[in-house]
Amino acid sequence: MESTQSEQSKLSFTAELFQIARRNAQTYTILLALVGIWLIFFFTTGGAYLGAQNVSNLFRQMSVTAFLAAGMVLVIVTGNIDLSVGKMAGFVSVVVAYLQANTWYDYLPNQPLLAAVLSVTIGLAVGALFGAIQGYIIAYLNVPSFIVTLAGLWLFNGLILLVTEGKTIPANQPWFSDIAQGYVPTHWGWVFAALAIGFLFWNMFRSRQNKQKHGFELRNIYVDLLITGFAALIILIYVYNVNNYRGVQNPVLLLAVTVAIMVYISNNTRFGRYAYAIGGNRDAARLSGINIRSMVFRIFVLMGFLSGVAGIVLASYVGYGTIAAGQGYELDAIASCILGGTSTLGGIGTVPGAMIGALIIASLSTGLQMMNVAPAWQYVVKAIVLVLAVLADVYFKKNR
Amino acid sequence: MDNDFILEFKNVTKQFPGVLALKDVSFDIRRGEIHGICGENGAGKSTLMKILSGVYPHGTYEGRVIFDGEELNLGESSIREAGEKGIAIVYQELTLVPTMSVGENVYLGREPLDGQAINWNKLYADTKKILSNYELDVPPHEIVRNLGVGKMQMVEIAKALSENAKVLILDEPTSALSEAEVEKLMDILKTLKAHGITCIYITHRLEEFFRITDRVTVMRDGKAVVTEATENLSVEKLVRHMVGREMKERFPKGNRKPAEVVFDVKDLQALDPNDSNRKVLNGVNFDVRRGEILGIAGLMGSGRTELVMTLFGEYGKVINGKIKLGDKEIKPRSAREAIDAGLSLVPEDRKGMGLVLIQSILKNISLPNLDQFAGLFRIDVDAELKASMQQAKSLTIKTPSLEALVETLSGGNQQKVVISKWLLSTPIVLIMDDPTRGVDVGAKYEIYKLMNDLAEKGVAIIMISSELEEVLGMSDRVMVMCRGHSAATLSMQEANEERIMSLATGIAS
Repeated sequence: MESTQSEQSKLSFTAELFQIARRNAQTYTILLALVGIWLIFFFTTGGAYLGAQNVSNLFRQMSVTAFLAAGMVLVIVTGNIDLSVGKMAGFVSVVVAYLQANTWYDYLPNQPLLAAVLSVTIGLAVGALFGAIQGYIIAYLNVPSFIVTLAGLWLFNGLILLVTEGKTIPANQPWFSDIAQGYVPTHWGWVFAALAIGFLFWNMFRSRQNKQKHGFELRNIYVDLLITGFAALIILIYVYNVNNYRGVQNPVLLLAVTVAIMVYISNNTRFGRYAYAIGGNRDAARLSGINIRSMVFRIFVLMGFLSGVAGIVLASYVGYGTIAAGQGYELDAIASCILGGTSTLGGIGTVPGAMIGALIIASLSTGLQMMNVAPAWQYVVKAIVLVLAVLADVYFKKNR
Repeated sequence: MDNDFILEFKNVTKQFPGVLALKDVSFDIRRGEIHGICGENGAGKSTLMKILSGVYPHGTYEGRVIFDGEELNLGESSIREAGEKGIAIVYQELTLVPTMSVGENVYLGREPLDGQAINWNKLYADTKKILSNYELDVPPHEIVRNLGVGKMQMVEIAKALSENAKVLILDEPTSALSEAEVEKLMDILKTLKAHGITCIYITHRLEEFFRITDRVTVMRDGKAVVTEATENLSVEKLVRHMVGREMKERFPKGNRKPAEVVFDVKDLQALDPNDSNRKVLNGVNFDVRRGEILGIAGLMGSGRTELVMTLFGEYGKVINGKIKLGDKEIKPRSAREAIDAGLSLVPEDRKGMGLVLIQSILKNISLPNLDQFAGLFRIDVDAELKASMQQAKSLTIKTPSLEALVETLSGGNQQKVVISKWLLSTPIVLIMDDPTRGVDVGAKYEIYKLMNDLAEKGVAIIMISSELEEVLGMSDRVMVMCRGHSAATLSMQEANEERIMSLATGIAS
C-alpha cells in the first residue's frame, strides 16, 4: 500500500487512469455495461433507440423505481430489506387517485391546484406513516425487516383492493397530471443543466482544494477533469436530446433533486455516516454510541416517504390508480441497488450507483420492447444481466 | 513398540509469522491416564491441541506426534480425520446445533442410513446406548437448546465417544459450570477412565488437577517446562512453573502521579442479559484515581469483560451497586450515555466490536465523535479531518493516508485507530480491555508509552489484561477478579505473579 502510493505521483496520466480503472473496476464495469447495452440497441433499432423521444421515455420510465431505489440503498446498507415499497407506492397512488377523482371533486370543485397540493401532501404523509409503522415494528419490536415488509406487501395489496373496489380510478386532472406528465420549458432545461454542471466542477475543485489543504494525495488533475467532464457530457447529451422532443420531464428533474439530496444525506450528515457504520459493523456502531433502533426506524420512515413520492409520480404519470399499481417494483428497486454495487451484507452501496442500476433495467426494458421481444424473453435477458453483473462483482473483489 | 504411551510429542515446533507458538515441545501421555495441561493464556496449549485436532495439519509444524504407535499424519481439512482416528475435543465454546435433538447432534454428519434415508430408530437407540454406558444422564430426544451447559457438555462427550474416541481432550470444561456440575463431570471422567479412555484435561482452575489428574504438564512461552505426577505437585509448585521467568525491560517507566479518586464502583452485581438466572457479576468493588492505571487481572471467564461492558451500559442487567464518576452517581444504560458521562471503552474484540473494517481510518476515528463536528444537516469535514489527523499523528498510525481502509492495517495500527477514536472524546476514564492482544512487541511498547502519557495528563485508565507481566509492568494497583467478584485490590508492593494467580484461581482470598 505504502509503496504504490508513493509511486503514484510519478505515474503518467494514462497509467494513473488505468490504475483508477482497475481499482474501481466494479463501478466502471457497470458503466461500461450501460454503454454497451445502449450501443447494442442503437444498432439493432437503427439509431431510433437513442433518438429524442426514446431517451425521453427511457428516463421517465425509470423514474418511479428510481425513487424507490434511492431509499432502498440506505435500507440495504443498514443490513435490512424492504419488500413492501412497490405495493406501498401502489397504495399511495390509488389513495391520491381516489382523492383526486372523488373527494376533491365533491368538496373542492374547480380548485385543481389546491386539490393537487393536498393530494401530494396526503400522499407523502401516508407513505411516511406506513414507513413509520413498519420501522417501529422492525427497530423496536425486533421483528426482521424481511418479514415485516413481506406482511406490508400483503397488507397494501389488500388496502389497494379496498380503496379501488377493483375498479380503475382516473387521476388525470390538470395540475396533478403535470407532476409527472409535464415538461420543463426548454430554456429552463438548459439553465438546470448549466447549474448541475457548474456544481459538479465546483465540487471537484473544492474537494481537491480540501485534500491539498490537509496534505492528502491528489489525483492527477486531468483524471478528475475527465471524470467530471464525462458526467457533464451525459447531462448535455440528455438535455439536448429531450429538448429536441419536448424538454426535460418534471419527474426526471424531481428525481435529480431527490438524488442530490440523498447523496448529500449519505455523505455529509451524521444520519448517513451512522447508516453505513451500522451496516459495516453493528456492534462497533453500538459501542460508538449510535442508537441503532432510532436509526433503523428513521431509515424506514424515509423509505416510506420516498415510496410516497414514487406513488404520486406513478398516479400522475399513468393517469389513474389501478389494482396492479406498483406490482413488482420492489424487486426492480432491489435489483437496481444490487446492480449499482450495493452489498447485500450491508455497509456498502451508493445512491448514484443504484441510479445507474435503475437506468440499466429501464434501458433493457425499453430496448427489448422496441425490438418487439416477447415479454417472456425480456425476463430471461434481465435475469442473465443481473447474475452476470453480480458475478463480475464477485470476480473483481477477489482479484482486486 | 512401546504401547504404554498413547500419545507422544517429539520436538514439536510451530511457527507463526512473527511468533514462535511452540518451541521444541516433548512429552508423552500414557494410555488410560487423565493428563492435565496448564499454563497462562498464550503459553501454547491451544496451539498444541489444534495440532492434535488437525486444524494445523501434518507438515505445518516441525517435529513428530506419535499417536497409538504411529505418526499422526493428518492432511488438509482433516478435522474429520482426527475424529475418525480416535482423537476428540470438547471445546470451551460448545459446538452443538442448539435446535437439534441430542441424538441428532451426537450423530451429526454420520447419521446411520437405511438405504438413502436416515434410520432414526437406530440413531436414537445407539445414542441411548452410549449415554447409558457412560452414565451420562441426558434424554436422547431432548432438544439441545433446552439443556443446561453441564448437560450440553455431556452431549459433546457422548458425541466424541460415539466415534470411538481413544483420546478425549477437554479444553476448559469447567469454566461455565456450577460446582455441582463440576462434581458430576469429575464422576464422568472417572467412568471414562475405567473404560480405558485417555483424557487430556486443560484448565485454569489449578485445584481441579488435584481432584482428577494422574500427571500434569506445565507449559510456558510455548515450551513444555515440566511433566510430573500429580502427587508430587502442589498448587504453589504449579504456579511457580507457570510464571517462572524473569521480567524483562518491556515496559516504559512512566512518571504517573495518581491523584484523587474519580471513578468508584461499589458492590456491583449484574445478571446475564440472555439468562436472568445467571449472575455474571457478583459483588465487584474498586476505585480508580486520576492519573492512575488500574490493572484488572483474572482468568478467562472471570467476568472481566462482562464488568467493563456493564460499566459501559451495554451488557449485564445491574441489580445492585453504585457507580460514581466524580461526585455524580451514573447509571449508563447505553454506550451513548456512558460516552456522554465521560467513559471510553477500547473493547476486547478489536475487529468485531472496535472497528468498521470496511471503512476508512478517518470515518472510524470520528464515528463516536461526530457530535463534535456536526449539526443536524452538516458535518464540518474540515474540523473532522483536523482533529482526526492530529490524533492519528500523535499516535503515529502508520498509513499512507487517513482514507486508507482499516482492514488494510496491521493489528497494532488497527488498535491505535481504536484508541484514537476513543481519545477524541476526551474521556475522564479510559477502559482498555486487553489493549495489546494480537499486537506485536514494538507496537505494544508504543501503546504502553501512550497509556503513560494519558495517565500523566490526568486520565484514569482501567486496563484489563490476560498477561500477568503486562499487569505487573504497567499498573499502579491491581484488582483481581475471580468468578464474577473482585477478589482483592493489591498495591504494587503486594502484587506478584504467584499472589495474583492464587487469587484468580480462587485458592487464596
